[in-house]
Amino acid sequence: MYAYILRRLFMLIPVLFGVSIVIFFTLRIIPGDVAATILGTDATPQALAQLREDFGLDQPLYQQYFSWMGGVLTGDFGESMRTGQEVLPDIMSRFAITFELTILSAFISWIIAIPLGIIAGIKRNSKTDFGVRIISLLGVSVPNFALATVLILVLSLSFSYSPPVGYVGFFEDPITNLQILLLPAIVLGTSMAGAVMRMTRSSILEILRQDFIRTIRAKGAKERVVIFNHALRNAMIPILTIIGMQIGVLLGGTVIIEQIFSLPGLGQLVLTGINQRDVIVVQGAVLFIAFVFVIINLIVDILYSYLDPRITYK
Amino acid sequence: MNKKGFILAFLFASVMALLIACSDNSNTDEPGNDNDSNNDGEQAEQVLKIANDQEPAGLDPHKTPAHSSVRIYSQVYSGLVQFDADMNVVGDLAVDWDQPDDQTYVFNLREGVKFHNDREMTAEDVKYSFERILDEETASHIASYFSNVDSIEVLGDYQIQFNLKSADATFLSNLTNASAAVVAKEVVEENGDLQQVAVGTGPFVFEEWVPDNRVVLLKNENYYDENLPKLDQVIYYTMKDEAARMSAIRTGEVDLTTVSAQSADLIKDQEGLEVKDYQSLEYSYVGFNNEHEILSNEKVRQALSLATNRESVADIVWGGDAVVSGPVAPSMGDWAIDVTEHELYSNNLEKAKELLAEAGYENGFDITITTASTYADMVDTAQILQQQWAEIGVNAEIKQIEWGEYIDTWVNKTADILVGRNGSGTDPDRALNYFFHTEGSANVWNFSNADYDELVTKGKTTVDLAERKAIYDQAQNDLLTLSPNLFLVSPMKYVAVRDSVEGFTPYPHDGEYILEVTKK
Repeated sequence: MYAYILRRLFMLIPVLFGVSIVIFFTLRIIPGDVAATILGTDATPQALAQLREDFGLDQPLYQQYFSWMGGVLTGDFGESMRTGQEVLPDIMSRFAITFELTILSAFISWIIAIPLGIIAGIKRNSKTDFGVRIISLLGVSVPNFALATVLILVLSLSFSYSPPVGYVGFFEDPITNLQILLLPAIVLGTSMAGAVMRMTRSSILEILRQDFIRTIRAKGAKERVVIFNHALRNAMIPILTIIGMQIGVLLGGTVIIEQIFSLPGLGQLVLTGINQRDVIVVQGAVLFIAFVFVIINLIVDILYSYLDPRITYK
Repeated sequence: MNKKGFILAFLFASVMALLIACSDNSNTDEPGNDNDSNNDGEQAEQVLKIANDQEPAGLDPHKTPAHSSVRIYSQVYSGLVQFDADMNVVGDLAVDWDQPDDQTYVFNLREGVKFHNDREMTAEDVKYSFERILDEETASHIASYFSNVDSIEVLGDYQIQFNLKSADATFLSNLTNASAAVVAKEVVEENGDLQQVAVGTGPFVFEEWVPDNRVVLLKNENYYDENLPKLDQVIYYTMKDEAARMSAIRTGEVDLTTVSAQSADLIKDQEGLEVKDYQSLEYSYVGFNNEHEILSNEKVRQALSLATNRESVADIVWGGDAVVSGPVAPSMGDWAIDVTEHELYSNNLEKAKELLAEAGYENGFDITITTASTYADMVDTAQILQQQWAEIGVNAEIKQIEWGEYIDTWVNKTADILVGRNGSGTDPDRALNYFFHTEGSANVWNFSNADYDELVTKGKTTVDLAERKAIYDQAQNDLLTLSPNLFLVSPMKYVAVRDSVEGFTPYPHDGEYILEVTKK
């Protein structure tokens, strides 16, 4: 197992190298000149040229790439072209916010989706099942930005409530922190829940049809034991896969939700970076997101073997 | 690992994750929470919370033209002169000034003004600031405003002289630009630039900037006007989503925010809120590539002007809250001419078709209108023009591009027709010379007319006000006739303000004037 983990971690190197090349050159292809975007229409050609030189944009592309990668390898992701702020500390502080939001959303998703999915699976084609299926379909099909906007409008118009403005860290003020994160977590959690609910239902249905379940029941096991000790554990592999994918995506920055709820997370960083053509910020952030995604996938793969001892890695 | 082990491991990982997630709180303290206003009859805390739609793009006044930055650094820095409410130039760091001849300005500086680092500001700082602007290495966006400055001489601690290369009627109004700020040399040298720090002589002291979250300013207790500012603290929150800003202003989470025309309509009757409007200095325009095979023909451009119904642009795009404009926006007061009487503003389709026929395009032509998808008003304007021009046989296709690409298109002059919005500036020279002189730095229209160039050059160097106005009246009329651009409408702007805010008045040249504001 440890050899497998090491091997997977080793595989990170070519993956991140590939991502760095793709993101670096893609950002150079998209139209838009950072100097013109920063200086606006008042700038003289001399000022534009000077700024490009300051950013090293007058160098050949391969030189720009190697100088960036050289920095990355020593932990220096460079400085924002716009603000001069160091990129890596900025990424880390924003990742903390996105991470907390992701964990909260996933938690909300699980407490809604897994119990409801199990009930729907057990009581197939009952009214409860139809109810759950409708809810899960809504969760999957209502875009989270629409739900977010409606939630904000309804709360402010009908209940005169708006989440506190300005992000506050958890340890600074836990209550305000949770107040700020609750609405976005509910929005993300419910949209995640739709897919998890559907997967839980179909997975439970599938398992309940298996011979070993019949055998367990024939042995006189209580239904609670059948469902929780045997069916659910076996049904978890596909559920875990989809949860892993969702968490990976959320950790990459929930761009729209962070924007709507004014959360200074990783998604906002990337979006602002792209809009302002701050390529140093964007390529650093994307590389980091790729790293997180690969790690999450690795964790999910390792969890498989705990859930199903038949799965082994060598 | 057994099941119990797995659960324990999972719980441990979750707790660790949460701890890591919340471990970096170095920049997440909340300064305004304990300062909320109250209605108990006690003195309210003088903290103004403003929701902004954009994140500042840096704080260096000499290097950052973005409005999201200007609104903040203009509170921290002062310049030599400023505009009063009626857009007259009055002293700021300068008490007064003399003009021994047309090319020389001598400013007498206010004594005892201190930077926020407690050092006294002197004429050397003014000299340093303008030399920094003019230094090519600074890559300052406003270097072009002061390219006519020949030399700067310090005559004493509180007196400084600017020698110009030629007479320049725009010099004083250019000095009112928030980017013409006086900065402290030692702060620049210590930090490399001023993008992350701000140490000025202005009414507010920069406290902190938490990216994509907030900027906090505190009252400058040593401000040269001891009665100002009245607020103790200003917090700018970045809230990019308009629904979130609306929600925050409705519920009193913030005190002030700019809103779009549509949102202004939605909240204007809300209790506890007031929507203040003001005529902006902006105008929407249609920019032609004057070297384009078809558009280089003056009659074609005039035909398109005649085919454009500007009132319907005002009604549909801006809900009626916009006025028809020429190149100088009507809020510039006497400088702007009444364009509504101009023949090309008559929306005469028959005449437009005649002109097209004379130009050899009696069956119309195909063309592409490029605009920025980032701004709904620009897209809406392009769509209306598409419909209006179809009536004279012009078949326009709309190409929507993202903002960064739009600026690229603008700079590189790659569009046939560009729909956008421009600022008129605070002096007609910007609207007339800078955008349309053959050598104008923002003449991205390939427009060149020797008579026009001569006229606006004369306008820039004519110091006599009446004479200058006559020149610019003529230049505006010439531009309308030559139609290198079509000038459409100048929109209103809106600021939603809570009832607890007193003394807030937005001006065309400063929509966020908060010096006199108090909280009750």
